[in-house]
Amino acid sequence: MKQNSHIFLVLTLLFFLIPLLVLVAQSFSAPWRFQTGAGLDWELRSYEQLLQNPMLWKATFTSICIGFVVLLLNVLIGVFTGKALTTVPFKGKPWVEALLLSPILIPVLAIAMGLHIFMIRAGLADTALGVIIIHLVPTVPYSIKVFHNSYQQIGRAMLEQPHILGSGFFRQLFTVELPLLKPALRSVTFLTIVISLSQYAITAVIGGGRVLTLPLVFFPFLENADASVMSAFSLWFAVIPVWMYILVEAAILLLPYSRLPWRNKR
Amino acid sequence: MKSFNLKHSLLFLPAVLFMLLPLYGLLTAVLNSFGRHRGWTLDYYRQIFESNRFVTSLVFSLQTALIATLLSILIGIAFTRSFYPILEKMAPRVSVWIPMLFPHFVWGYMVILLLSETGVAAQLLTAAGWIADPQQFPILTRDPDGIGIILTYVWKEVPLVILMLLPVYASIRPEYYALVDTLGGSAWNRITAVELPHLLPVLMETSLIIFSFTLSAYEVPALLGTTFPEMVSVLSYDWFYGSSWQKRPLAFAAMVSISLVLLVLSFIGYGYLNKARWRAMRGSRS
Repeated sequence: MKQNSHIFLVLTLLFFLIPLLVLVAQSFSAPWRFQTGAGLDWELRSYEQLLQNPMLWKATFTSICIGFVVLLLNVLIGVFTGKALTTVPFKGKPWVEALLLSPILIPVLAIAMGLHIFMIRAGLADTALGVIIIHLVPTVPYSIKVFHNSYQQIGRAMLEQPHILGSGFFRQLFTVELPLLKPALRSVTFLTIVISLSQYAITAVIGGGRVLTLPLVFFPFLENADASVMSAFSLWFAVIPVWMYILVEAAILLLPYSRLPWRNKR
Repeated sequence: MKSFNLKHSLLFLPAVLFMLLPLYGLLTAVLNSFGRHRGWTLDYYRQIFESNRFVTSLVFSLQTALIATLLSILIGIAFTRSFYPILEKMAPRVSVWIPMLFPHFVWGYMVILLLSETGVAAQLLTAAGWIADPQQFPILTRDPDGIGIILTYVWKEVPLVILMLLPVYASIRPEYYALVDTLGGSAWNRITAVELPHLLPVLMETSLIIFSFTLSAYEVPALLGTTFPEMVSVLSYDWFYGSSWQKRPLAFAAMVSISLVLLVLSFIGYGYLNKARWRAMRGSRS
């Protein structure tokens, strides 16, 4: 057991922690030239250069807005569908589950290309709303899965009880279900935001290059920015999910039966 | 509980509306690939399957995606089964999930930063005197064998496999292992008789998700691939956005061909799982 944890430590350091540290170190120093015997030159130039770019701020704002709406829609669809899959008995449930997962098994690029003409006709091409809609395709199946699993752990009995006691739909949702769905809300936040931030191709197809999200700025940056600036930009991508997570955590505190940090712990 | 069920069927409405998106998108892609606006034809499929560029690309994509999926799954299983007691704790779990915090193409840049010919690894090896100059470092990114693409995907997907398998391993009761030991089973029997039946549904689903993603995603191959051979997604994107609209139907035909492969695989996978579930319910294992 002891030896096992040493191996774990070495592997985790080597493949997960050290790469992250390298990225952080590179972002705070000039591009490395170890082979010439040079050491690290600590500097903040990369962040200055990155944060002075007006495109970056605009794209960050667009990405956060799109990500936030995509997240809200994901929670809505995920919670409703998860509840329905758990409470409504019907035949062929495994096939329905497979069908609901199918959007991530079909290439999302094919779907975006197919929807492109529809988006043009509906006036949604080149708009943020169109991009939000296409970002639902790779995210919603995961959300449905996470919420469905969570509802199943809560169990049918727990869901029928408030119904029997006569509470309405929204009261059931806010006082019983959502407080029990907190872990699911956290995972869905992370998954949705990271996946939404990962979409270059479908954002370019539907947004037509007019809707400028962070990936659309990152790719051209690769051509002419040096390693320091690229590392800083890479870390910038990780800041957004963390920031959004804190925001959602704050929203979760508003749910009933949350332990408020400024109150006495029960 | 009649009213309970009836009202709850309405909860499927958002999901049904959502499902219209991918279904409509795929259907339009299929219709366009058969030349919807220019008279029905199989010509676009004939063109792509007769072009060396597409066929090479298809083989290269299937091969790259298959290797990436198998490696991710195998490393993921090995890692989870060796370390799941450690992974119950918060700090180790979070450190393993670091790659999941970044988009795929950002992790792709990480691979370039670390492993390209001018990357950190090449520089360190040169500074340490293991290789005479960075040019001797093997070409691992933007290489014709797709090594860079595979590395990025495996690095990024292993945490996903761990995420999916962890709850399964945590839920296997130790009595099952004791049973195998009592009946004189080997370590291999522990895997085949206890772990695999528990893992099978999750494993199948995870493999399908990773395979479809690695086969059809654009970002990582665009960053880490070469121009020949290229992944089908990159080729289709070029055809879709190329200089002339003439090639758009080819993009549709290429993406639809890929979708067909994935749909058939998914059907086989889920069909097999359902049959396995059916057999388990009836209690026979043959």
